[in-house]
Amino acid sequence: MIQQAHIMLNSKPAACRDGETVLQVAQREGVFIPTLCHDPRLKPAGACRTCLVEVEGQRRLLPACATPAAAGMVVKTDNDRVKRHVKGLLALYLADHPKDRASETGAPDQLLDLAERFGAPTDWPAMPNVRAARPGDANPYVHFQPEKCIACARCTRYCAEVESVHAITLANRGSLTTIFTADGRGLMDTTCELCGGCIDTCPTGAMTEKKPFLTKAKPERQLEKVRTTCNYCGVGCQMDLNVDHSANEGRGKVVKVTSPPPGTTTNDGNLCVKGRFAYDFLEHRDRLTMPLVRGDDGKFHETTWEAALQAAARGLLKIKTEHGSDALGFISSSRCTMEENYLVQKLSRSIFKTNNVHQCAAT
Amino acid sequence: MAAKKVMADKHAQASVPDKLQQAGGLKPGAARAVHEASGIAEADVYGVGSFFHLLAEPGVKVRVCTGLSCLLKGSAELLKQAEAAGLPVRACSCLAACDRAPAVLRDRSVLPDVTTEDLARAKGDWTKLASAAGKGPDWRGAIGPAKDDPERLAMNLAGAPDFSCAAFAKAKNLGAEKVIAEIEASGLQGRGGAGFPAAFKWKSVRGQKEATRYVVLNADEGEPGTFKDREVLLRRPDKVVEGLAIAALTIGAHEVYCYLRGEFDGPWRALEGAVAEAGKKNLFPGISFHLHAGQGAYICGEETALLEALEGKRGMPRLRPPYPTEFGLWGKPTLIHNVETISCVPAIVAKGGGWFKALGKSEPGTKLYCVSGHVKQPGVYELPLGSTLDDLAAAAGGYAGTLKAFSPGGASSGFLPASERTRPLAYKALAEVGSMLGSAGVVVLNDTVNVAWAAREQLVFFENESCGQCAPCRIGTRFQRVSVDHHFDRAKAGASGDDLKLVAEVAWEMNEGSICGLGQAASLPLTSALKYFPKDFEAKGARP
Repeated sequence: MIQQAHIMLNSKPAACRDGETVLQVAQREGVFIPTLCHDPRLKPAGACRTCLVEVEGQRRLLPACATPAAAGMVVKTDNDRVKRHVKGLLALYLADHPKDRASETGAPDQLLDLAERFGAPTDWPAMPNVRAARPGDANPYVHFQPEKCIACARCTRYCAEVESVHAITLANRGSLTTIFTADGRGLMDTTCELCGGCIDTCPTGAMTEKKPFLTKAKPERQLEKVRTTCNYCGVGCQMDLNVDHSANEGRGKVVKVTSPPPGTTTNDGNLCVKGRFAYDFLEHRDRLTMPLVRGDDGKFHETTWEAALQAAARGLLKIKTEHGSDALGFISSSRCTMEENYLVQKLSRSIFKTNNVHQCAAT
Repeated sequence: MAAKKVMADKHAQASVPDKLQQAGGLKPGAARAVHEASGIAEADVYGVGSFFHLLAEPGVKVRVCTGLSCLLKGSAELLKQAEAAGLPVRACSCLAACDRAPAVLRDRSVLPDVTTEDLARAKGDWTKLASAAGKGPDWRGAIGPAKDDPERLAMNLAGAPDFSCAAFAKAKNLGAEKVIAEIEASGLQGRGGAGFPAAFKWKSVRGQKEATRYVVLNADEGEPGTFKDREVLLRRPDKVVEGLAIAALTIGAHEVYCYLRGEFDGPWRALEGAVAEAGKKNLFPGISFHLHAGQGAYICGEETALLEALEGKRGMPRLRPPYPTEFGLWGKPTLIHNVETISCVPAIVAKGGGWFKALGKSEPGTKLYCVSGHVKQPGVYELPLGSTLDDLAAAAGGYAGTLKAFSPGGASSGFLPASERTRPLAYKALAEVGSMLGSAGVVVLNDTVNVAWAAREQLVFFENESCGQCAPCRIGTRFQRVSVDHHFDRAKAGASGDDLKLVAEVAWEMNEGSICGLGQAASLPLTSALKYFPKDFEAKGARP
């Protein structure tokens, strides 16, 4: 019989699998360990120090995110030493960070959340920000607020490890450590693909969407998330439209697009530049929202889907009858899924009997 | 146009700091040029360049040391004078010339004993800056004992370089097991700061399954008050090279990487010469030596930060475990030793572990003590490990003035009061009082010094040299320094306040939470000064 390995987590046995970290075991067991620099998509950095736990036999506290869970390990996440550490650490972070919730203009600030949850002192004297920004960066999508940055390097690691883009880097040293590009250039003049993954992974909202920031849109907490499927390509990434229902005189407005948490959908929290930022068409006046059929007067008239499909079928069949099958051609969109593309060629070959079928991404 | 992305190998990454140096530092466009030459992403090149101050500020050609020993000799005034003269100047951290203070770095050359006259003679032209008292790159400091005595001194700095390689030949005959047994018998402890038993590392690397192993020389010691590596490399590069060769032979390594401070131009040439000599005579067949220049970062004296820097990355310490003996340079088992530690090896092999052990007083061996500040003859003195401050001061010609305080092992060891003058300067004895021997960079302060001021200057050092990776150190070092500044500002204004009430709690958190020794120890100058010299914090105008 195979014996299941266990660690002792806060005096209770917890099963652990080969290769798991202490953090992973704790998360499965429902034991909360605070993290800031951790993102399951990235290699553990152990840099933010919020997840330090006490491991019996180890002189120093160890980062749960980077410590392999070994059978028999005795781990404490909630004793006085760990609690004192977390409070002190969060208080230090707060001394170097805006403490007011009013600063939370975009995504929820997980540092403020943790400080509240652990009752960290908020009265340690504040120090002015010394991290450099990139004021000349004219890129349309990504805005960096250095005063909110905790230098956890999630954005730079995401850019390198997940996207292999290496557009941004940790720069300088010590308290001057900041997120920068080569020579401080704008993102458009780097390898950046404007995927916005840096925004998604940032735990404090230091990296944020530029448009809602500049237009002073409501913070993310006050928006409703509407889950949908990105229709730019056939991958089927899941994404959340963040809707402000009161905007546009009550007609509502999509303030921004965010990705669902990593590990919950097939796109694992990732989106590309189109999915995350190209949502303006939603409110464009030229956008088709109803089927239209051209009438005898030469103008488009709103109609039902049933009537529109009937009209299209009639037109196609008429051409086939009058000019033969090869007078028809079918072109499908790269925004279609593979199944939809399959159906288009089926329609073309089986119903209309022509091989004139193409897909715009096939060239 | 956006930069191309190119896949690159580990050697391309390792070449980044050198290539940036050749490009004249991180000038606009340099990161792009190095990217094109190496294939390393442009932003990553920039990140590396901006980390190291010798690369990050290409316009700065003159750096005035603001280490404690140099400040005591008027370096703050020198800095002001240099600024007024229009020189491209900045303050910098310790230049490892505390015995010849005040020191100034001109480009990559350390000038010792710089005077206001020297600065005036340069007439605002940094290329003309020279020290009348220390001409050329091979200036040296005082050493003691000044006489060749190989029977009682493991390092024997006064001895002539010896390339007979008798110890290496003996090591070859003994075989690895017996060499390690001798190292173990000697009780040799790491002399870079931690005092870790050397034999433990050797055994650990030798016991790894992975066949590719490396030996790394840590000659990037930047602990303020420490300058012994400079003298060892200048005077006994033979011992350094032979020690490294014995280590490589014993653990089964074929490559030895030496990482030297970027400010060590003379010592670099000395080591390069010794390596060339060994190569010419084929003294260590099958073992090759590679020299790498540091680019200005105290943290790279920390062994895992050094490994990162050697790989051409930002010098940020790694999480441990795993330790370098298991996962070191390029992930291979690596034996990494400080200059002094490795230089003890030839004598231990030649004369036996028992001989070395018996040289010590409270702990094994002789030890190089650097002493600077208020003694008559600052320098490097080789004394039995466990000698006291009084012993050391006697070797250095006596105290200058009345002893008030001393820092036994660099900035990281904090301050001790004069009453500890008879405590052995050794690993255990100093740990008992919450201090440490560290790198044995002893700074002596007489009663003209306000220790609160001295502590504040050490805090500035740690704030400047924190790598910034982990918050306890990145934020904590600044927080502590700001607290002291607020305290002094208030005291100057005649007001009272409680600016220092959080010092102990922040120090506790920095010690518990920091990744490496820098952050863990960085509060010690302040907490020890508060403990032993509380009155100095009451003095008005303690901050000059």
